[in-house]
Amino acid sequence: MDEFGASGRALGRPAPAAARAELMPSGFASPAQDWFEDRIDLNRHLIKDITSTYIVRVSGHAMDGAGISDGDELIVDRALHPRDGSVVVAVLDGELIVRRLRITHSDTSTDPETSPTTKSNSTDPGDGTAAGVALVAASSAYPPIPVPDPDGLVIWGVATRCLHRV
Amino acid sequence: MAWSSGVWPPGASTVSDPEPSPLGRGPVTGPVTSGVALVDVNNFYVSSERAFDPSLEGRPLVVLSNNDGCVITRSAEAKVLGIPMGAPWFQIAGQAKNWGLQVRSSNYELYGDMSARVMEVLGRHTTDLEIYSIDEAFLTLHGTHRAQQATGRTIKATVRRNTGLPVCVGIAPTKTLAKLANRWAKGNPHFDGVCHWDLVPQDQRRALLRRLKVTDVWGVGTRNAARLNAIGIDTAWDLAAADPVLIRKRFSVVLMRTVLELQGTPCITSSESTGNEQVLFSRSFATPVTTLDGMQQALSVYAQGAASRLARKNLQGRVLTAFAGTSPFSTGTRSAPSICIPLPAHTANPLELTRAAHRLLPLIDEGVSYIRAGVIITDLQPAGTQDSLLTLDQDPAAGAGPALGKDTGPLLHQIGQRFGRSAIGLGHAGLKAGSDWTMKRDMLSPHYTTKWADLPLVKAQ
Repeated sequence: MDEFGASGRALGRPAPAAARAELMPSGFASPAQDWFEDRIDLNRHLIKDITSTYIVRVSGHAMDGAGISDGDELIVDRALHPRDGSVVVAVLDGELIVRRLRITHSDTSTDPETSPTTKSNSTDPGDGTAAGVALVAASSAYPPIPVPDPDGLVIWGVATRCLHRV
Repeated sequence: MAWSSGVWPPGASTVSDPEPSPLGRGPVTGPVTSGVALVDVNNFYVSSERAFDPSLEGRPLVVLSNNDGCVITRSAEAKVLGIPMGAPWFQIAGQAKNWGLQVRSSNYELYGDMSARVMEVLGRHTTDLEIYSIDEAFLTLHGTHRAQQATGRTIKATVRRNTGLPVCVGIAPTKTLAKLANRWAKGNPHFDGVCHWDLVPQDQRRALLRRLKVTDVWGVGTRNAARLNAIGIDTAWDLAAADPVLIRKRFSVVLMRTVLELQGTPCITSSESTGNEQVLFSRSFATPVTTLDGMQQALSVYAQGAASRLARKNLQGRVLTAFAGTSPFSTGTRSAPSICIPLPAHTANPLELTRAAHRLLPLIDEGVSYIRAGVIITDLQPAGTQDSLLTLDQDPAAGAGPALGKDTGPLLHQIGQRFGRSAIGLGHAGLKAGSDWTMKRDMLSPHYTTKWADLPLVKAQ
């Protein structure tokens, strides 16, 4: 068990059976005894599959506009399929980088979702099938990163949650 | 040598299981049967490092053993450089830079967690998972051969997707053949990492067995190999064709089982191959220990390490063996003391285990350079089978009050997990890491998955 598991347990572990009021040896039975539930468990809430879930730390401000700040922790699921709009951890020049994935098709160029920036990065020759892919920051100070070879792009995982200290 | 029948392996095509398979996929095109899959991670330590540091992809990378002693895992690129397995680090350190060689110390915290993830994924694809080592496991698969192969491919893809680790899968009627199929899958790209023995044409299997030496067969050691060679059994093929009865008479029942397994009859059960009968906690020292104090401290830490491991596996032991040793290459005094101590009852209590381990101390010679020590706990049983609450009271000189009862081990283990391994310990182990015997890991990567302070960094720059 890692520290994450430990903290998850501290918050979410159900009370030991012996401590439950329903099992008290004397006195009146708890009126709540038929309504006991396990306590809220953050691990169960935040993690779909423990084998594919990793926690990473964000360094930098490029995702500030998406509510992801410098120093925040992201919960990343490596098993999820990235889609247009997913916040992804991608491999770029041997480093892990967090950005929003933008996938555009030329036949959807009238889609209001399609921003001029991603359109300009499209490698679509015009037959309406090829995709234009870009990694887009959530802050205008960081230009989009075009992905000229989408097949060569390695998506490490898809971020599902951001742990942000308030 | 010739086969008595044209079918190979004998009986393989007639093995059938009348039960419908819960995991079967696709149309039933052959006999429904069950098989054994051996799944292992390719270059496990190297692959675990790369899973969190993509800059290591495509570059030569080696991982060093305890104390950064020698190379224990090599990436394909490092193999191409001609770095041999087991090469002492000090011998290749000088050239590392010229080669562009990347080097890491063993990050057991990371590998342990990645192993647990892999094993959990594997467990979802079988009712019968036998973890054989940190990076390999046997699984029982049901269904037709094609269905088993399909499951193998699913396993490979799922492990890759969830952990980033590449695995190979060998599937066969027996464990020994599954090992061979796995090895084959690794060596031949056309299998794409998954090889089902029974789906490979017979002439190809025959050719492979003729190529492999007997020592390439799982469970055949070099000593047996020499004796086998003396009677004309040189290749895996020869061994597979040998008379099992003759092998039992001239060698052992163990080797007979290997022959039967090569012929397609499963006969190695999990208890015979897992070896979960002991907990061993042993380390080489970064620099030799020459004092009684130093040895006492090391034994304390190892006994507590063993206790922690017992607690984690929910086991208790009845016998403790403590040992120490000098280097076999040392020109000075050689010494290899060991002592076997029966414990009063089954226990995982670090206090009792530490006290027992310290009974090695009278056998330690001050001034002699010991390079390793260790603690082995045997005669294991699941915790809770027998209450050990009172065992401390049997020795009033123990110095520990009854408050330190059977929960001490799990408690210390939990505290260590939460606040770090050196946050709490018994007196002799000390709170600070000793200077001369803790593991040297100068090129350690972060504990990416087990420590908040070590999380992988993702750039938002």
